[in-house]
Amino acid sequence: MRGYLSYIGQRFAVFIITVFISITVVFVVPRLVPGDPMGAVFLSMAQMGGSAGAADLVREYERMFGLDQSIWVQYVAFWRELFNGNLGYSIATFPSQVSTLLRSAIPWTVGLLTVTTIISWVLGSVIGALVGWHKSRAFQALVPVALVLYTTPYYILAIILVYLFAFQVRVFPLSGATSLGAVAGFNWTYISDVLWHAALPALSIVLVSLGWWFLSMRSLITSLKGEDYILNAEAMGIKDRRIMWGYAFRNALLPQATGLAISMGNIVGGALITEVIFAYPGIGWVIFNAIKGLDFPVIQGGVLLIIVSVALANFVIDSLYPFIDPRIRYQSARS
Amino acid sequence: MTAVPLQEQTAPPEVQAQRGFVQQLGRNPKFMVGIIIFLTLLIGALVLGALVDPATRSTGSFLPRQSPGTPGALLGTDTLGRSIAVQLLEAIPKSIQVGLLAAAVGTVLGALIGFSSGYFGGLVDTILRVLIDVFLSVPSLLFLILIASLVRGVDVTTMALIIGIFAWSWPARQVRAQVLTLKERGFVEISRMSGMSGMEIIIWELMPHMLPWLGANFVNAFIAAVLAESGLSILGLGPQREMTLGMMIYWALNYGAILQNMWWWWVTPVVSLMALFLSLYMVHIGFDEVANPRLQTEG
Repeated sequence: MRGYLSYIGQRFAVFIITVFISITVVFVVPRLVPGDPMGAVFLSMAQMGGSAGAADLVREYERMFGLDQSIWVQYVAFWRELFNGNLGYSIATFPSQVSTLLRSAIPWTVGLLTVTTIISWVLGSVIGALVGWHKSRAFQALVPVALVLYTTPYYILAIILVYLFAFQVRVFPLSGATSLGAVAGFNWTYISDVLWHAALPALSIVLVSLGWWFLSMRSLITSLKGEDYILNAEAMGIKDRRIMWGYAFRNALLPQATGLAISMGNIVGGALITEVIFAYPGIGWVIFNAIKGLDFPVIQGGVLLIIVSVALANFVIDSLYPFIDPRIRYQSARS
Repeated sequence: MTAVPLQEQTAPPEVQAQRGFVQQLGRNPKFMVGIIIFLTLLIGALVLGALVDPATRSTGSFLPRQSPGTPGALLGTDTLGRSIAVQLLEAIPKSIQVGLLAAAVGTVLGALIGFSSGYFGGLVDTILRVLIDVFLSVPSLLFLILIASLVRGVDVTTMALIIGIFAWSWPARQVRAQVLTLKERGFVEISRMSGMSGMEIIIWELMPHMLPWLGANFVNAFIAAVLAESGLSILGLGPQREMTLGMMIYWALNYGAILQNMWWWWVTPVVSLMALFLSLYMVHIGFDEVANPRLQTEG
């Protein structure tokens, strides 16, 4: 138990450092890049014939972030506002707060990604194990398919799916997460509406990530096949099926779980664009609209939110890791 | 068999290592198929692009919304009357340019950081390792979105540089791990005893062994950069005044090519992008197999 605590302590330190450094990067970068976000906004506002409340906005911003003061004061103010959960105001939809905008987007992104990640991980691992274990011709035909899927970016597949199943054969809706005028509630009408809208975005993410899990599981199982303990189990006359699932698959799950942890970040990044293509109201869609509307605080808030959640997800998975991998448990107990 | 262990016994090692490596690459079918597709795309686009009449580049050169096969506009035209084929011939080299430049920046930065981290060890290593881990765990697309949304109106070169600056973490980790194992080899010890400085050892003794690895990393960074370019472009942060494959998709989506059933508009960049990715992945796999012979026995 003490070993586990010290292990968790280390992981927590890494988590804190990651968050600290990346937030610092998010703070520093806009100040290094030529071109001031607020200036750009005012230029565009002036071009559109000015905007009511612009002056209020500047004053509120300068007060909140101390933009007229030294960079250190700004840095401290930046952290203080972050700790209060204050990500500033949206410029395009002033006076609504960035955090409010993001809060309504989170459930869509998290819901879509959690479900698709789990489905593709489970499916990909199981099919990959089967193909790696049984060298039959029919199974091997799946390898090039998986390779093509894996090399296809998420959003490319998304575009193709929209065209095929929302435009040519109009089985699924073109965009959005619910039908117009749908009333949120815990009833079948609403839930089926949500599932129906999520089907295509989910399918595009599942298919692409499936390819990767399939390929990595297949190569893991193939490399485990020659191991002594597998040969030993075979010599003992244990049933082939039991050797595969109980011996080979279980051991291959470990690197596969690590892969899951690592891929979390990439999935969030890739799905940003999937959301754009389906106009799915998650964080990617919010960021996309902010880019179009020159709404820098919203972009920054969205980026910060994703960075912190990726770091947090990695930390949670690291903390659970000793429960799947006993070696870490023993190692940390000894040291 | 493999070139790497041989280098230790025979001198001069560098030249031999490279020649063996290039020969092995030439014999690797995946690498060859990949590089042939890649070069066909690039050279084909450059040669045909040079033949294009400059007058056909601009808006309104053709009738809008023409489907493929129209005289003069082989792949059809968009809603502004621009030829899709002409756009494609500009987009392929530009996308490849972004990939090459960003990968070069990322690999060189990554190699420097990885070498310093692995070779010098101690506090330098601790700090750099933490940095590598941080930038590996945070998806770089986020930083790219942040910067690209500040630098409005990027051109292809600026975009490549921005992508490259955030592409060093993976090569850095790989190089560091390699340096750590190479450092313990006898020939490094001998060079050190014969009075070579740290920098000299890195350049003359370690670098030659690292080149195949760096090559594999370069291809990897290339793929990631093309991916980042198209992703950023689709988000609306691409080079608005130039054509890349990502920008072609962006304009097609932006003008509702799918809903107007102008399939040629979006299929052209999508298929080209997929061909580019597939060729690069094959090059990458081939490179990996040669640089890391253990992979060949697998699968």
